[in-house]
Amino acid sequence: MGATAVKRARYIWIPLLALLIAIPAGFYYVHWSQQGEGAGFYSRLWSPEAIFAYWAPDDFYDSVQSVEGRFEGPACVSCHSAITPGIVNDWRASRHARAETPVYCSDCHGDDHRRLHMPTPRVCGECHATQHGQFLDERRFGFPSHALALERALDANHFVDKPKAEVTACLQCHSVAAKCDSCHTRHRFAAAEARRPEACITCHSGPPHPDVESYFASAHGQIYLAEGAEWDWSKPLREGNYRAPTCAYCHMHQGQHQVADKPIWKFGIKQVNPLTSANRVRRKRWLEVCDDCHDEALARDALVGLDRERKRAWEKLYAAEAELRSLREENLFHPAAGSRPPYPNDWLDRLWPRARIGFFEGQASAFYNVSPIERDYFEMWYFDNLSAYKGAAHGDAERVQAAHARLDADLKAIRARADRLREQARREQAAGIVAPDPSSLWLNGEYTEFNREHN
Amino acid sequence: MNHAANHQVIRLTRGLPATLLLCGISLFGMMAVSAAEPPDGALSEEACRTCHAGRDEALVDAWRESAHGGTPAVAGCSACHGSDHAHVGVRARQDDACIDCHGGPKAPVVHSYATSKHGLILRLEQSEWDWRRPLRDAAYRSPGCAYCHLHDSEHDVGRSVRSDPMGPDRGGTVADHLRGVCQECHAPRYVTRLFDNGEKMLETGRMKVREARRLLEEAAHRYDASTLAEGRALLATMQRHLRNVRLGVGHQSPDYQWWHGQPALDGDLLRLKGMLGALERERRLPRTPTAERR
Repeated sequence: MGATAVKRARYIWIPLLALLIAIPAGFYYVHWSQQGEGAGFYSRLWSPEAIFAYWAPDDFYDSVQSVEGRFEGPACVSCHSAITPGIVNDWRASRHARAETPVYCSDCHGDDHRRLHMPTPRVCGECHATQHGQFLDERRFGFPSHALALERALDANHFVDKPKAEVTACLQCHSVAAKCDSCHTRHRFAAAEARRPEACITCHSGPPHPDVESYFASAHGQIYLAEGAEWDWSKPLREGNYRAPTCAYCHMHQGQHQVADKPIWKFGIKQVNPLTSANRVRRKRWLEVCDDCHDEALARDALVGLDRERKRAWEKLYAAEAELRSLREENLFHPAAGSRPPYPNDWLDRLWPRARIGFFEGQASAFYNVSPIERDYFEMWYFDNLSAYKGAAHGDAERVQAAHARLDADLKAIRARADRLREQARREQAAGIVAPDPSSLWLNGEYTEFNREHN
Repeated sequence: MNHAANHQVIRLTRGLPATLLLCGISLFGMMAVSAAEPPDGALSEEACRTCHAGRDEALVDAWRESAHGGTPAVAGCSACHGSDHAHVGVRARQDDACIDCHGGPKAPVVHSYATSKHGLILRLEQSEWDWRRPLRDAAYRSPGCAYCHLHDSEHDVGRSVRSDPMGPDRGGTVADHLRGVCQECHAPRYVTRLFDNGEKMLETGRMKVREARRLLEEAAHRYDASTLAEGRALLATMQRHLRNVRLGVGHQSPDYQWWHGQPALDGDLLRLKGMLGALERERRLPRTPTAERR
């Protein structure tokens, strides 16, 4: 009896011991992985460009060394009105300059010219604690969100892989997590500016997120375009202050800085069940926003309409994914997964090469180093699907219709390409050709080789 | 920026005696200029050039040598300045003077600027700005087309434009010219790093185009021109994507650098490779009447 008990105890103490070793080792590994020249989880696999100092200042900012000494605010202003007059003009027109005790350059950048720092949200938060607290709180709603935008970008497969000068393009928008001036442009930092939809356009436009295009085409946007210039933008984003909502009115209701705090459909990038208990709470919160102007029934219908649009879009997307999965099973991608340049961070891919199909397999990085039919699906998913979603979410019916017509055409084109691939494979098989890919094509070439060597 | 701030620069950099001398010359010049009466009513191109050839010879020459000049002129004085002498400056300094000829609001060259932070600040605030001020010394909160491309009355627009994204920057002269413009608002080191990075970003785009071009050149030895027509069309599209990267870098538009630029280049490069790969596989097959191209 006693011997069995001792034996049984093994089932407890062995896992316990393993856990005691594994947990600290895991923490250490994460810490170690972040100690490289780059930043994020794969920091040891890449080196930053000098410009990263300005997009990810917490990781890379280095102060200029050309001027020495400590300077009080008025001295900064005096010298910089000659060196960079634009900055000083802007600051003079800001509330910072006109406050009873002005907020000077040195209050945000430091006063030692060889140890200057970029005012990250933490620095702004020293005075604007409420907004900064809300901004950080957005993290708990997950990604996509402003607060997680930078770290998720730095850890993306394609960011780690591609030449850093090329992916600087990503950081200009994803740095929103590190820069309050993404929306409140420097050095005026006006709340009034950020309340207007123009503040969002630079990042929220273009193929995968035509937010601004769909908003301006909607009834809300049309009212803004006709009358917005005359509205009093110093008023807070509350019921009764604006005749039509702007981006911030709905997404930052009452000025709160958790922008993505009620994301039911997650940007349209994956299929969700819109009626989970958490999503029911979010739906209720959306209704509260719409309720500022609209009857609840109308708002409810809009949400249901969006559910239906998403279902329709995902039927088409899943049909295309099924086609791709079947090609993967038949080993019909050219190049095959093993014949493509692998991502430097992806050892699993080297052991077990596998094409990435669908959101959960890492589709977001599958826009290069893939075969044409996979790229076709990437564009279907990321451009046309998201265009349909944004159109539906912002009330641009024409866009929804056009995007769904494109989704239909995409599906048809993918099926036609799949048929051609199968037909060619059938004839190759009949001719007894075993390894049909001309391998040098996909691994060689000026950019392809540069990309492999410059992470 | 205003007159007083110019004085600040002079005072800081030259000292009092030199400042007094400069002010004296400046005042005398202003009086001499204002002595000549501006003409009333609508003006002909000929009238502008006759009068201004004597007053701003270098300016007229610069315009004549620029892409706007030539005989007959591509864009004469009135194309940008209008023909009402009272508002010539105010009209030409605003973006509306450029947009129609440059393809309208949806043309990439206009749209890439319009969606940048510069473009959006201008869109929100331009109605409140005093457009009588000259295009220099950060006189405007955000630069419009003319602020950078006709900075301080520089009428040779080519000094600030790199028209060929594949070509070099004429010995760095465009970057050098623009560096001074950007530094009126941005820190010198930031501008330098931004320019260097932009050049490198553009170079990665060029590599993709060169890789595609090389593949097509090699393929031309094996296939006839009609077989490669689709490939040549892809290369032409890639050149447009590369132009978008250039516009994105120049106008600081993330969307043009990225979604209209780099990944678009990636997509067409891999489609070209896919096409050539399929052709190659086809070549190895025993001849059949229904050969598939892709």
